[in-house]
Amino acid sequence: MLHILLALSTQERHGYGIMKEVESDSQGKVKMGPGTLYGSIGRMIEAGLIRESDKRVDPEMDDERRVYYKITALGQATLAAELERYREVVAVAKKKQLAPNSFAYGI
Amino acid sequence: MASEPFIRRCRKWYAKLLRLYPKPYRERFGEGMEQTFNDLCRERVNAERGLFSFALWMFFETSAGIMRENMTFVIVQKSIIRVALGTGLILLIPLFGNIFVDGWNWPLPAFILAGTLLFGTGLTYEPVVKKMNNKAYRFAVGLALGTAFILTWMNLAVGGILGDHPANLMYPGVLLVGFVGAIIARLKPHGMSRALFAMALAMALVPVIALIVGAPAFANGVVAVFGLHAFFAMLWIVSALLFRRGSVNRL
Repeated sequence: MLHILLALSTQERHGYGIMKEVESDSQGKVKMGPGTLYGSIGRMIEAGLIRESDKRVDPEMDDERRVYYKITALGQATLAAELERYREVVAVAKKKQLAPNSFAYGI
Repeated sequence: MASEPFIRRCRKWYAKLLRLYPKPYRERFGEGMEQTFNDLCRERVNAERGLFSFALWMFFETSAGIMRENMTFVIVQKSIIRVALGTGLILLIPLFGNIFVDGWNWPLPAFILAGTLLFGTGLTYEPVVKKMNNKAYRFAVGLALGTAFILTWMNLAVGGILGDHPANLMYPGVLLVGFVGAIIARLKPHGMSRALFAMALAMALVPVIALIVGAPAFANGVVAVFGLHAFFAMLWIVSALLFRRGSVNRL
């Protein structure tokens, strides 16, 4: 959900657009299929984090009209709170001088 | 690279697979999912990559989604069935009353009204409490909804609390205060507490306004009318305090 909120934080996107943005943001580490993506979208709409925007054609793709999704004010607040939480966790890890490979050899 | 007939077949099968989603979900997201699948197919073809393993993964991933959404749908359906059963069981009381108790004679519209109110209250209660795992909040929601139910029942079935007067229209207004307040609060405890306090205040103001506009109910005694409204307001205040206490304890 965090990845979807992040993908929608800068602009409205349709399903495929969200998928590609998530893939790009995570440097290819997070890949979602339509089943996962639309399941998450449904739950996020229900929670008021995102909402459906108008249906329109994506000029960079074909002439099919697509539903676009938009982040809500609650979604923006949730994203900000979650990013802050991550920042705090990273700060604690830095304070403890933990590097990503600290536990690689079972030290 | 995948052949054109294989791509067409994949798209057709995927569209058929989407039919296994629950109808409301399919109507809402089916078209978008199909478009996304087609976009992903096009992307693979343009990159001159094979489609077989991709299609297999997509079908597997979407099948998992279908199972998940169908399970959610069944759970929702189950809660509707539970509320309907509860409503039916409660309505058995007046039904037995009609059969076995002398002088008890509920007409059919009373059953329909009671059934609608009970079913509506239950349907509101179920999804709201699902979002709350605190027992105090659940009790608070039950108390608030129960009070709203009794108020509506007294007005519609027993007759207007304030007598035959348009001042009775203030009661839907009181309920609207709570409804709008709950939406603004997004069911968060602190906001819910405020919404219920606002409801109690609105309820306390009803007899004051009714007295000013001269509603006929006061002919039977001012204290009784004010007492009844104070009772309703008190129940919402208790509910509001439960929410407030819960939200303070969580901090």
